[in-house]
Amino acid sequence: MTEEELLSGLRNGEEPAFKELVTRFQDKVFNTALGLLQHHTEAEDIAQEVFIQVYRSIQQFKGDSLLSTWIYRITVTKSLDQLRSKKRKKRFGFLSNLFGDDNRPLHEPEDFNHPGVQHEKKEDAALLFKMVDQLPENQRTAFILNKVEELSYREIADILKTSESAVDSLLQRAKQNLRKKINELPP
Amino acid sequence: MKNNLSNNKTERVIGSLDSLQKATAPDFFYTRLKGKMQREMEPAKKPSFLLRPAFIATALSIFLIINVFSLFEIGKVPKQNTATQPGSQATIESFATAYNMNTESVYE
Repeated sequence: MTEEELLSGLRNGEEPAFKELVTRFQDKVFNTALGLLQHHTEAEDIAQEVFIQVYRSIQQFKGDSLLSTWIYRITVTKSLDQLRSKKRKKRFGFLSNLFGDDNRPLHEPEDFNHPGVQHEKKEDAALLFKMVDQLPENQRTAFILNKVEELSYREIADILKTSESAVDSLLQRAKQNLRKKINELPP
Repeated sequence: MKNNLSNNKTERVIGSLDSLQKATAPDFFYTRLKGKMQREMEPAKKPSFLLRPAFIATALSIFLIINVFSLFEIGKVPKQNTATQPGSQATIESFATAYNMNTESVYE
């Protein structure tokens, strides 16, 4: 099924077209959301939300960009919204700590282990993800799209609606910040 | 020497995502997605007609009218009784005497 046929089927509300869309993009959407959110269940929820959004707003897709670019953009937007919502909740986390069991903080972040990391690199990758979590949103997004989803600068630029040089600059700054944060860690 | 070790560690950590394998969506993703879509796209249950504002306003108005009407009617009854039965005071006194229910003070 070509992209045109797929789009036409989706616009007509045909289920086989929707199933084909999900089959084609589910791994890309899930992997991107997982990289950004660093949480399996949340990544699955967001991936589902992305496809529901695509189903609902396919009539508004004008074809100015590739379908994949549009879907990645929805994934990034939804994942960042989820991260912002989590941060807001964390700000009020101290209240729930007051009522937590065993004086254990309820919002203590756990180490994230990406399932695709090689066994011998697991510890370093967990540390890197922890540092990525502290990057500004745009640097974090560019870094994850490049390192976890292996997208080219051109593709990232289209998703973020910016230029390739801006993406290059974002990635340079992200790496610089990561190096600084890792160096600041106790040995 | 220490600086060199630190640099090595930094580069090792930064490079830990090289040759990363992409994560795949969980099994039965499509089935779960369809389930969620069906739940979300079900038409919302229509609220009972009892909760409609028009019904609530009408019911309250009827209730108020009945109350006001009842108050007027109750207010009328004692007046009519006293006006139409001039000997009612005497009747009450004779009733009290017959049943020894006089309320005269014992100190009189």
